[in-house]
Amino acid sequence: MKQLLSGNEAIFQGAIRAGATYFAGYPITPSSEILQQAAALAEENPGFRFLQAEDEIAAAIGIISASLAGAKSFTATSGPGFSLMQEALGWGHAVEAPCVFVNSMRVGPSTGMPTQPAQSDLLQIKGGSAGDYYPIAFYPNSVEESFRLTVTAFNAAEESLSPVILLVDALLSHLYEMADLDAIEVAVVPRTKDPLGRSQRLFTGTAHDRMGNVKTNDPEAYRDWLNDLKERHLQAADKYPLYEYIPRKDSETLLIAFGITSRIISSLKERFSIFRPIRIFPVLEKELQEITRPYRHIIVVEGNDGQYASWTECAIHRKVMRVPCLGGGFKFQWIQSQIEERLKEGK
Amino acid sequence: MIDRSYKELLKLGRFPHTWCPGCGIGAVLKNVAMAMKELGWNNQNTSVVSGIGCSGRMAGYMNLDAVHTPHGRALTAAEAIKTVRPDLNVVVLSGDGDLGAIGGNHLLHTSRRNPDITVFCNDNEIYGLTGGQAGPTTPKGTKTVTSPRGEHYQPLRLNRILTTQAPYFYARTTVYHLNHFKTCIREALLWKGFSFVDIISDCIELNGRRLGFKTAHQMFKWFEERFHIAEGVRDHLKDDELGIAKKEVEAEVKVEVEVEQIPEVQIEGLKLFALEELKQFDGTEGRPIYIGYKGKVYDISASPLFQGEKRMRCHIAGKDLTRDIEIAPHGEELLFKFPVVGRLKE
Repeated sequence: MKQLLSGNEAIFQGAIRAGATYFAGYPITPSSEILQQAAALAEENPGFRFLQAEDEIAAAIGIISASLAGAKSFTATSGPGFSLMQEALGWGHAVEAPCVFVNSMRVGPSTGMPTQPAQSDLLQIKGGSAGDYYPIAFYPNSVEESFRLTVTAFNAAEESLSPVILLVDALLSHLYEMADLDAIEVAVVPRTKDPLGRSQRLFTGTAHDRMGNVKTNDPEAYRDWLNDLKERHLQAADKYPLYEYIPRKDSETLLIAFGITSRIISSLKERFSIFRPIRIFPVLEKELQEITRPYRHIIVVEGNDGQYASWTECAIHRKVMRVPCLGGGFKFQWIQSQIEERLKEGK
Repeated sequence: MIDRSYKELLKLGRFPHTWCPGCGIGAVLKNVAMAMKELGWNNQNTSVVSGIGCSGRMAGYMNLDAVHTPHGRALTAAEAIKTVRPDLNVVVLSGDGDLGAIGGNHLLHTSRRNPDITVFCNDNEIYGLTGGQAGPTTPKGTKTVTSPRGEHYQPLRLNRILTTQAPYFYARTTVYHLNHFKTCIREALLWKGFSFVDIISDCIELNGRRLGFKTAHQMFKWFEERFHIAEGVRDHLKDDELGIAKKEVEAEVKVEVEVEQIPEVQIEGLKLFALEELKQFDGTEGRPIYIGYKGKVYDISASPLFQGEKRMRCHIAGKDLTRDIEIAPHGEELLFKFPVVGRLKE
């Protein structure tokens, strides 16, 4: 049955479809609706557990611990809350706990402009916690896709044994669209990791070898451990090389945009080719290299000051042009005029 | 012969452990393991959680599924594990800095939510692992590396914080008062709900020596001077008492609310109004103000809100207001003080 659903509702439904049984969160606009739905479900269904934590730190630690205890778990937050969750995100990678973080982004830094939409937490997925880690992150641009990608995120988490991040635009969180979720068929990867209370394992954020023995001054063991993690994450990510490419034969310009900006500029497909990365991290290097090759100009349109543009430059070893839509200003006419200006100036 | 079977619960293969000679943590680990063994807790029904610090390393030496969390987050992790797996016994082994300072917010809120977990706090009144900085429980005036002229502030009083709301279980003991120590551990493990054992412990290397103690034993003697055991179960402990303060859930005092009897009015003999007729009685031209509610017609001319007016803010006179009052913020009781003058035609 077709229903009018918001992005937040679709995300929650997706999590339930993927088999999530634990939610911990802290209220923050624009993600609070997910928290509210979880609270309502927990009242009805004792199999679903819910914690309204005292802060985002506790929420994030809660879902990782719940995951170790055997539940598929997730949380939802926005930029400032995601900053607090960084500690747990690093820990989640170290203890190999599959779970999903939903980040419905708003303008930053800090409290920013509550609650204007932005796409500015890209660097935060990768660079917020201490040390090296290789998270997987997806980025939907419609209500239906946010449902699909939530399930995909849970699957990728099970395969990579790590936290996976779903980035959403604040606009999409509150955008209502018609969607028929029951008709969508999705494959669900079941939990394979053994829950707590079975043996003598140690789940620790301290560097450890494969047996769980703490190794704090053994570079060799650390390298083995980290390379293991990295390889597993990249392998899991390779299963989801998700992107959308709308080529236009006579165009010399490729527009790169994701999330809500890709929808705002979608009418420009009559003039330009458009590339939309869906797996936002790890960056789709191979695909970007291949697709961008024939184009003279590459313009990245995004709701931040060039975060994805710099990743693209690293991936394709070329300069790209940037159209940063800052401060929640996603106006089509403005974006169009900026693109024209860039093309005229040639930089 | 001494029962040494508790050693099954320890990862002896990882010994020698990381703690300094004379440290109190070893005693905590050993006695907790002994109590668990006595109660038949093992790796199939128990999980331990610890935070960061010297005491945070305890979980790693337990022969159980152990979770070693980031600094201060042990309580949150334990609560989540207990929520998902109520069949597991969850024990937290951590320290005063971890639980009281960086995890202070989690201590407040986890104890408020009262999950069935047991917390053993190795309270050595110092940050040991990082080199002897003043912690949240360091007594006022103590010289440490971050308070070279003596700590300026009063210490955190965990006994006061944790005994504000029933149910609670707070025990204070020391590693020196061994029998008392064992009793507290056992009682805490058996307590249904959030139980907290504040174990006063010694850190000879990074705290004791600066205070002038030469050996751990001198510190134990100092504990004996500072504290005495309070007999019996108390509601609260004084700052120099060792003992158990516990309280079950307070029985909810039922406040008898007087239910106002809704006056039964005989309406059989009263006049029948059709909705059309009712419309005339809207207060204009000196007519009374009538409204309909659940089949009855009330004369609300005396209402100050309708005085001489055809309508007040939300309600219109001369109408059936049954639906209006259902969604109104006030209840129907406002109407019952007005006289019933008739009944509505179906």
